[in-house]
Amino acid sequence: MAVNSETALIAAAKCGSVAAFTELVASHRVRLLRFLVTRTSSYADAEDALQDTLINAFRYLRSYDAKWRFSTWLYRIAINNAASMRVQDTEQIGELCDEESGPLEQCIAVSERENLWISAKRVLNDEVYTAMWLRYAEDMSVTDIAAALGRSVSWTKVNLLRARQQLDAAMGGSKKKAQASEAYG
Amino acid sequence: MDKLAQQLREDANSIEVDVSPQLDARIRASLAGVRQETGRTSSGSTGRAPFWWASSLTGIAATVAIISVINLGEPDPEPAITQPPPQQFTMPQFTFKPKAAILTESLQQELDAIQSDLKKAEQVIKDDFDKIGI
Repeated sequence: MAVNSETALIAAAKCGSVAAFTELVASHRVRLLRFLVTRTSSYADAEDALQDTLINAFRYLRSYDAKWRFSTWLYRIAINNAASMRVQDTEQIGELCDEESGPLEQCIAVSERENLWISAKRVLNDEVYTAMWLRYAEDMSVTDIAAALGRSVSWTKVNLLRARQQLDAAMGGSKKKAQASEAYG
Repeated sequence: MDKLAQQLREDANSIEVDVSPQLDARIRASLAGVRQETGRTSSGSTGRAPFWWASSLTGIAATVAIISVINLGEPDPEPAITQPPPQQFTMPQFTFKPKAAILTESLQQELDAIQSDLKKAEQVIKDDFDKIGI
């Protein structure tokens, strides 16, 4: 979306235009839902979180500061919504669903190798996982990620580096396992 | 872009999601009923500062006004005058005549003498209390 077009849509949406807001977030919805699927315990929860995110974004759009990228601001709301939904789930069912049958696993086609985001979910904590997602799935800058997470730039850099190392190590381990299982037939 | 970053991007894109028409309709219906609010997040809170100050100053002014009205409406209270208590309730004055002990005999005898003196003193005090009726 062109910057001018986005700015104009934001201005119109700030004046209460639902149509402008819908157009503004149209390109973000699928990406947000994809992110929320990785952060919630069911697909229905991810859909609810998307709905809440967009409603909150529209409700508080007048407080949006143009110094942030709109997508960063949107992700910040989505992160908070996903976190509160996870807290509710934990309170209601004691613990989150089995990761083997989570929404992320359901949304990935069967393939020879494991999806890296499933591996990442296993080895990284929620916040670092989110930082990784924003960096590599959303191609956000470190500054924007830090803003979205409410962390410092240095924290973000360090944790992205560590997360990569952890993921590399986990991938190395799974490759060794795969080689071993091939060797033993 | 390195291999890991490339794989992460591909794997993220391979997560198949879709905003269903039902979800789309739900979102549109919800948005239609939403009323926009002004300034909630800290990032956009600078515009709220004057309101903060205004409400704080109003509160302080109201407090000062109430205190002034209460204090101006009543005359200063008379200073309290206290009467000295009657003589009979005051404690009697005792005159002590301390003497240095001079050990001229054995310690046991000295101890007996001191105990005897103590008993006498106790008796004198009791008599004094009896006299004043305590």
